[in-house]
Amino acid sequence: MALIELRDVTKTYKRDAIEIPVLDRVSIDVPEGEYLGLMGPSGSGKSTLLNLLAGIDRPTRGSIRVGDTETSSLSERALAGWRARNVGFIFQLYNLIPVLTAFENVELPLLLTNLSKTQRRDHVMTALGIVALSDREKHYPRQLSGGQEQRVAIARAIVTDPRLLLADEPTGDLDAKSAGEVLTLLQRLNKEYKKTIVMVTHDPHAAERATRVLHLEKGTLVEQTPAAVGG
Amino acid sequence: MKFIGLVLKGARRSKRRTLLTVMSVAIAVFLFASLRAVLDGFNAATEASSSTRIVTLRSTSLFFSMPTSHAEGIKSTPGVQDLTWANWFGGVYKDPQYFFAQFAIEPDSYLRMYPEIELTPEDRKAFLDDRTGCIVGDGLAKRYGFKVGDKITLQVGIPIYGTRDFDFNVRGLYKSGGAAVDNQSMFFHWKYADERSIQPGQVGWFVAQISNPDQATQVATAIDEKFANSPNETKTDTEKQFQATFVSMFGNLNLLLGSIALAVVITTLFVAGNTMAMSVRERTTEIAVMRTLGFPSSTIFLLVAGEGLMMAIVGGIIGVSLARLIVTPDLMQAGAFIPVFGVNNANAVMALLLSAGIGIFAGLIPATMASRLKIVDALRRVA
Amino acid sequence: MGLIGSYNLRSMIVRKGTAAMTAGGIAMVVAVFVMTLAIAQGFRATLVASGSPQNSIILRKGATAETVSGLLRSDVPLIETLPQVARGADNRPLASPELVVAIALPRQTDNQNANVPVRGVGPKAFQIRDAMTFVEGRQFAPGTREINVGRLAVGRFKGLGLGSDVKFGNATWTIVGIFTADDAAFESELWGDVDLMMPAFQRIGYQSMTVKLADASMFDSFKAAIESDPRLYLKPSREQDYYAEQSQAMTTVIRVFGTFVTLILSIGAVFGAMNTMYAAVAYRTREIGMLRALGFSRFRIVTAFLAESVALALVGGVLGCILALPVHGLSTGTTNFTSFSEVAFKFRITPALLAGGMLFSAVMGAVGGLLPAIRAARIPVARALREI
Repeated sequence: MALIELRDVTKTYKRDAIEIPVLDRVSIDVPEGEYLGLMGPSGSGKSTLLNLLAGIDRPTRGSIRVGDTETSSLSERALAGWRARNVGFIFQLYNLIPVLTAFENVELPLLLTNLSKTQRRDHVMTALGIVALSDREKHYPRQLSGGQEQRVAIARAIVTDPRLLLADEPTGDLDAKSAGEVLTLLQRLNKEYKKTIVMVTHDPHAAERATRVLHLEKGTLVEQTPAAVGG
Repeated sequence: MKFIGLVLKGARRSKRRTLLTVMSVAIAVFLFASLRAVLDGFNAATEASSSTRIVTLRSTSLFFSMPTSHAEGIKSTPGVQDLTWANWFGGVYKDPQYFFAQFAIEPDSYLRMYPEIELTPEDRKAFLDDRTGCIVGDGLAKRYGFKVGDKITLQVGIPIYGTRDFDFNVRGLYKSGGAAVDNQSMFFHWKYADERSIQPGQVGWFVAQISNPDQATQVATAIDEKFANSPNETKTDTEKQFQATFVSMFGNLNLLLGSIALAVVITTLFVAGNTMAMSVRERTTEIAVMRTLGFPSSTIFLLVAGEGLMMAIVGGIIGVSLARLIVTPDLMQAGAFIPVFGVNNANAVMALLLSAGIGIFAGLIPATMASRLKIVDALRRVA
Repeated sequence: MGLIGSYNLRSMIVRKGTAAMTAGGIAMVVAVFVMTLAIAQGFRATLVASGSPQNSIILRKGATAETVSGLLRSDVPLIETLPQVARGADNRPLASPELVVAIALPRQTDNQNANVPVRGVGPKAFQIRDAMTFVEGRQFAPGTREINVGRLAVGRFKGLGLGSDVKFGNATWTIVGIFTADDAAFESELWGDVDLMMPAFQRIGYQSMTVKLADASMFDSFKAAIESDPRLYLKPSREQDYYAEQSQAMTTVIRVFGTFVTLILSIGAVFGAMNTMYAAVAYRTREIGMLRALGFSRFRIVTAFLAESVALALVGGVLGCILALPVHGLSTGTTNFTSFSEVAFKFRITPALLAGGMLFSAVMGAVGGLLPAIRAARIPVARALREI
């Protein structure tokens, strides 16, 4: 059984009286352990799709199942708890909290668990170790480079050990070198740590790292081809 | 709690804004505590009044006197243990603006019945032995620099005492041992004033000591009945009632000071609420990120509300401390009629609770705003 | 200024929640300011209205109020016959020897006894105070135990309706008329025949005398005549001066208290305005950079933000004035400590007071807006344009 199962997911926004369709009857299966790339021009609905998967937005019609959970039918509160346990989210603009240190930023999701202070420390240091930033734990976001900030954000996404990582243009704001580091890191998380990853991108270099790439256009899937392997 | 760190970090985000908010709460709490101190001062005299002393006045009003012969009648009333009397002198010290209260008292019995007038045994004896001697409260002494051995000259204020000035020797400074007696008054021998009066043998009011406070009303009625239909009818009340009448002379203080306090609180609510709304608006993205990480909206609500509560309480502590430092009996001698005491503990606690209330109410709307945020919209705003 | 003015105005509307709360804070301060001063204003107006420029009140030398003054019966003819004293249609002098005593009556509001002034007056008293008019009933008949009551006293104390009996001085007095006196202190009093009051209160002399002068300009010669008479140990004052002086102490206390409270409170409101303006500046950093790049001078930016802050505060000022207005005309009372009796008076909000409130709000806006405006002007153009 696939980890993620989208069935006829439709999303429309109301602007004034006009309904604007963003996604139109999209069905996707994502098997456990897949690294899926979502591509498409802006306005194609790829970010909306990601938000629906993350449970921070709800489909107008259709169902979404992640693991054993029918997320499209959960309450707001239950959804928040589900996100905390099952999803790690990586943003284009990193979205670290500026007044918190790297350590505290990574620790943030752990505050929602019952872990003790020492346990939290262990988890945070492990996550920072994976992204190779153990020595930056006391730095504030403004003291880090863009690539480092994004790696801290990735550490924050994996610190609760979720099955699913969602990344929204993770390299969109980075130079080529940092982008490469971030992509390598994501690939490692997929291969070594068996994280299922869904990544929205419009960068072909980023999409190349995925095991499968889907193209969205005007709210529908246009083709479903295996990604070209290799560079 | 593990979230306290987050709350503290939030408040440190914009130090200037946090400081301004904390200070505005501090000012509100300072004003509130000071206004309460004034009200407490007024009420304290009423509250501290003895329940075993009853006051007999002429039924017409405080300004009418009665003959000393009433003393026998009052003393023989069952339940009355002891009796003293006094007159309002109304003299003028130098200029009418240097006002203070002067009482002509029957010294032996008055000091006996008012243990609140605390005197050393030597001063007491010196005062009792000197027909033109007087005692002054330590507060009054401080105000005008009176010392033991000084001579105080008062011009006559009420025509029945003739036109000649009165000279008094300061024989002692008393301390106030209870709110029923303030430390801003002067007491001297009733006889000294009486012998120069055009209408001698007149008493302003009698104070009777009764054995059982529960009988106060019966004894008072019995006294008044004795003089009913005489040319000098009386009205007897408990000391408490007498004080309450006095306090009410200022007008409706509770209402006036109460409305000001309310305005103070509302102003602060506006200021503090505004700041917090601003800080929430600034943090829209962060809140959305935290929600995405799985923070439930209730936790976000508590974080924002907690930040407001913390700022308000810090402000409250500053305000109360300032009020305690500044509003002291020494400083606030606005008028001899206003018995101001310091900011007491109950008052301080109430002011702190008020600051907490301000924090909670001011945080309510911004916290709701924060917790109701639509994550997707908030994220899109930046991206 | 035109463009930048409307620019600021528009941005104020954009931030309407914040702006409303800031204005609200300032409104509360202005309301407290206006209300407390309305008390002082009302108290003063009441006492000042009691005096007429053509009248003179004569007290014993050194007496600060009627209650502590004394005047012998034999003094009366000596004063009445002075040429400066006006005469009525019956050719009798317009002079009223008077006695003021305070009696205890319970208030309507809290049932506490208050000292209510009872004034024994001569038959000409109502002609001397021309503002007096009867709203109900008639003037008391001399030689009877009839009395008149001021309208404010009727509302403030129990048992003073037309036709009621009031007991004082071992006698019963019947209320036969209720009068108004342009809100003067007399409206808080009970008036009766002085010749019956004197024995009732066991007094042997009067306390004061009020005369109407034939002309206001005759006061100086009238004063000289009394002071040069060795038989009279008396001092005449212009009635207006006397009452103004009576109000002095109380109004000063209220003014000092009101100013103290509003000043402290205004610090809080200024902090609020500062917060709002700092946020406004931070929020518009880019716009400010753009305006500067377009050639607007620093001075222009400072004035624009100051104007925005002042405008915001003035909105608060108007709100505060509106908030305070309903208390105008409400009647309340306090003790006049120079006479030790209760005076009823009305809150009085004058145009000057409202103007004062508006000025106060503008000052709060200017003070609160100054630092943020300076910060806005100091923003470096290049950096501002880069900022998001």
